[in-house]
Amino acid sequence: MNITINDAVLLAHATFGVLGTVSAVWVFVEALNAREENAQRTQTAALAVAIFMVAAWIFGGYWYLHFYPVERALILKGPWPFAHNLFMETKEHLFLMTLILSLYLPIAARDRLYANAAARRMVLCVAVLVVLTGLSIEGAGAIIDHGVKIALLRSAVTGAAK
Amino acid sequence: MTADSETLSPASAAFGTAAAVTALFNTALACAKDAYCPLQNVMNAIAGHNWTTQGLADVVLFAGLGLILSRTRMVRAIRPDRVILFLFAAVAVAGVGLFAWYAVY
Repeated sequence: MNITINDAVLLAHATFGVLGTVSAVWVFVEALNAREENAQRTQTAALAVAIFMVAAWIFGGYWYLHFYPVERALILKGPWPFAHNLFMETKEHLFLMTLILSLYLPIAARDRLYANAAARRMVLCVAVLVVLTGLSIEGAGAIIDHGVKIALLRSAVTGAAK
Repeated sequence: MTADSETLSPASAAFGTAAAVTALFNTALACAKDAYCPLQNVMNAIAGHNWTTQGLADVVLFAGLGLILSRTRMVRAIRPDRVILFLFAAVAVAGVGLFAWYAVY
């Protein structure tokens, strides 16, 4: 088995992103059933969203700056250049919005959700936005990955035909 | 059983508004740096890469604006549903705007 630092950083980025998104679903469910008894748990889940998304930012940023340029060159020469031009460009900037929403979520969850309908609606709204943007980013990641894969497959087929 | 309150705390209202403004700023900056190369060069020089600078600028704007707004009475005067609507609409417009920008750029 040969797992490079490139692989480890990329997988850590995706894993923390998924954990952050799943934690936002957790916050949503807790807020839907807001009671005094689960107030602390809601705040813990909201803090988990922020921590996981910051980790995803750090790992993703490191990978993007140090390892992505090689993959970008492959994508742009392959049959799916839009995997970079459209999906990576959107993903890398959309993620910054998810990050800000994730940093805000623990602040919003500090209000007494069980006794405050407005605070509850705010937490539900932010959790939904984190989930929707998180899923969009995960989907874009899959398209980028496929852009690299089909670029490599095409070059392999072309190379074998020569 | 406590009666339901209908107000956001000053911190929640302030940082919620700051998050909405930051989302719009993020999209505007992404478009501006692509359309205006000197800006991208400056951003590359600040933190080594324009994306890193943009991320740090977003976090600083969110934290700074949130802190400033939480010390003013302005956000407390805004109805909670308007703050929620502003945040939701800002993220939707900013997200779709990003996709549209890179689709046509």
